[in-house]
Amino acid sequence: MFEISDIVAAYGQIEALKGVSLKVESGKITCLLGPNGAGKTTLMMTIAGILQPRRGSIRLEGTELTGLTPARIVSRGVALVPENRLVFPEMSVRENLLAGAYQRRDRAGIDADIERMYARFPRLKERREQMAGTLSGGEQQMLAVARALMSRPRLLLMDEPSLGLAPLIVAEIFDIIAELNRDGTTIFLVEQNAHMALKVAHQFFLMEQGRITFSGTPGQLAEDEVIQRAYLGTRRAAG
Amino acid sequence: MIDLVQNTIDGLMIGSSYGLLALGFTLIFGVMRRLNLSYGPSIMIGGYFGTVLYLQFGAGPLVVAVAVVVGAALAGLYVERLCFAPMKAGAAIASMVSSFAVWMQLEQAAILVLPRHTYAFPPLATGAPLEFGPFAVRIDHLVMLGCALGLAAAVQLLLYRTRFGLALRAIIGNPVAAHLVGVDVRTVMPLAFAGASAIGGVAGFLVLAVDQQVTPMFGMWATLKGLIAMMIGGLGSVPGAVLGGLLLGVIEVQSQWYFGPQIRDLAAYFVLFAVLALRPRGLVGSLSEASTQKA
Amino acid sequence: MDDYTIGVLSNIGVVSFVALSAYLLLLTGEISFGQQAFFAIGAYAAGIATALWGWPLALALAWGALSGGGAAVLVGIPTLRLHGLYFSIATLAFAEMVRILFELFRYQVEIDGELTGPSGAEGFRNIRYIFDHNIDAVQFLLLIYALLAAALLGFVLLERSRTGVAFRMIGEDATLAGLQGISVARHKVLAAGIAGALAGVGGGLYAHLTTYVEPRIFDVMLGVHSLAYGLIGGLGTAFGPLLGVLIDIGLLESIRALAGYRMIIFGGIVALLLIVRPRGLLDERTMHGIGNLWRRTLLRLRRPGPGPGPGPGPGPGP
Repeated sequence: MFEISDIVAAYGQIEALKGVSLKVESGKITCLLGPNGAGKTTLMMTIAGILQPRRGSIRLEGTELTGLTPARIVSRGVALVPENRLVFPEMSVRENLLAGAYQRRDRAGIDADIERMYARFPRLKERREQMAGTLSGGEQQMLAVARALMSRPRLLLMDEPSLGLAPLIVAEIFDIIAELNRDGTTIFLVEQNAHMALKVAHQFFLMEQGRITFSGTPGQLAEDEVIQRAYLGTRRAAG
Repeated sequence: MIDLVQNTIDGLMIGSSYGLLALGFTLIFGVMRRLNLSYGPSIMIGGYFGTVLYLQFGAGPLVVAVAVVVGAALAGLYVERLCFAPMKAGAAIASMVSSFAVWMQLEQAAILVLPRHTYAFPPLATGAPLEFGPFAVRIDHLVMLGCALGLAAAVQLLLYRTRFGLALRAIIGNPVAAHLVGVDVRTVMPLAFAGASAIGGVAGFLVLAVDQQVTPMFGMWATLKGLIAMMIGGLGSVPGAVLGGLLLGVIEVQSQWYFGPQIRDLAAYFVLFAVLALRPRGLVGSLSEASTQKA
Repeated sequence: MDDYTIGVLSNIGVVSFVALSAYLLLLTGEISFGQQAFFAIGAYAAGIATALWGWPLALALAWGALSGGGAAVLVGIPTLRLHGLYFSIATLAFAEMVRILFELFRYQVEIDGELTGPSGAEGFRNIRYIFDHNIDAVQFLLLIYALLAAALLGFVLLERSRTGVAFRMIGEDATLAGLQGISVARHKVLAAGIAGALAGVGGGLYAHLTTYVEPRIFDVMLGVHSLAYGLIGGLGTAFGPLLGVLIDIGLLESIRALAGYRMIIFGGIVALLLIVRPRGLLDERTMHGIGNLWRRTLLRLRRPGPGPGPGPGPGPGP
């Protein structure tokens, strides 16, 4: 169980979290939807330890994560696939995967996991010696996911995995998400693409202006209402 | 023709130390994405450490070398703690100007310790130059070239074959992503900074030992030479830094031989300006495109 | 005022021109290490004009500005597509080339039985215009500050103009500014030209103030100092760089007891200041606050009586 309670945080002057609480069940896919600027990325960066919350707590299986460095959080089993992927552009695909296992010391296990990633993402295997910066957007997304998996996370965070990708690639990415989850990975996903996200999620939250405004299971709210609120926000949609 | 070849030999020897200066510089820039103007002055402080040991206690070249490298690393760490670590994201210019202010500090500190303009520095190696037919090679130059190329190769191995190197390249490639894969950026950064200053310290020791004297102006000299060689070679690559340094050395020696010392400096700056205007990324590509965008 | 004070004040005024020059480029988002080159060009051009060609001072200063500005436009074009560190180092390389060229530059004419004019590294002596025309130190000080005031007025007007807004937009995000229809290239060359002319005027004044210039004065140190002044004083207003100069030259010159430790203390203070205020004392937010306070005060003063307010006064712009 991954639990966030009453997180307050600011990112620069604009995006802010005004007391966010939510729960992510182990073994499930949980999705966070919301319009631009709702604070979704701020939340992800706060969980990963890049931003420090002003108050509140973040717990994974009862262990407190706030106050830890990003490196410690990775070693506690939380990995983030960031918005815009952020692969290391001038490292090869293989080196990106190695970097993903930075916190691990088991050389044999790392090598075995790299082979496992190649089996799951055959295109990464084809391009293993290529610089990551020369990959297509979809390939970079797969690399970012594989890189995060290299730390053997108990919880995989994904920030807008479909951003800027062609519809066919988006479908492929969501297939991978569902597949990873079937293999036992807990996934907490931020998405703008509510339609795709609701197809795979077991549970979802709506976030508007730094607050959670709805939570439920897909189907509990009509999809078009979710989509309307996720894209536009209630207040603006009502006005 | 003989002059041309001899000058090229001398230029490569001297240029190897420029390459080493550029190497330390480019590592700091790659990791911090900010310009450390106090890079040369930190090395100068190391030089003063060495000189004090030499003058006061008659220390030998090896002890002096260690003192220079340690002194440069410590001064580098001071600069990192004061000008880089506490700065907010996006305050790159503030870091640069702050490192300039600390440059002034370091220079004055050196003058306070040793107030005369120049002090003696122990020689690297004495003895007659080696002769190869019509050409001669100074022994201290040979030692300089050997140390510089050896250290550059070691840095290349460190970057591409070790876990620490992986961490460095991850930070150079994308600092946020480096955090996310579990690199302890806040520990690696000061280590890299001090290490890069130490590399500059090696270069500084070699140059000072060849010149056999040290002055407070050495700080500015080292910053400028390192900067020129780094920009000619291209930011963020070990071979680029070495190549830039070697090229700068050859340009300097040739132009000084044929046209005198003023034209030597003019030629160096002209080549720098021309490379920037025509081929901004330098002669060799960089470790990371992203790291080259803003100073 | 004693001679010493006049000397320090004159220096502050003259150096302010280079600081403003570097500041203008900072507004457009570029860090120049090379504004001292245009200061040097202005100094030599204006000095030659009065000492060798017998021009009047006003014309010579204009010629200094024109030379500085023209040279800046000429360098501005090949460096136009350079950004960040690449631009900074290109300006550094250019300025050092200019300095070395002045070390090689000889142009001497016999005047009153004496060889006068630039003589390479030995410098350029006998720029005696202000002695020959009985201009005393205070008068020249007033001239410096009158021109500085004009330059500041120009900045205040610029900040309110479309061009000024365009400069700041380019500084924030050149790509975005381009998408908004601003001609980035033209504005950058324009900014470089104005900055060069400002430094050129400062150089012309400097040459006549000291009567003697040599290439060594115009080294990288002067360039980095000019840049630092804006960062110390603040990037929110053209008064920022002036404040920076005032703090450096004024304050430090006056505390002579610190001799020997001066740079250790000053360097430390600047480094600490930049941690707390990375965009200087008078940064954008402070200036915004002062602007609001000023407007509110004006409103409050206007409200009670029907009579005219207390006049516009020399208050800072928005």
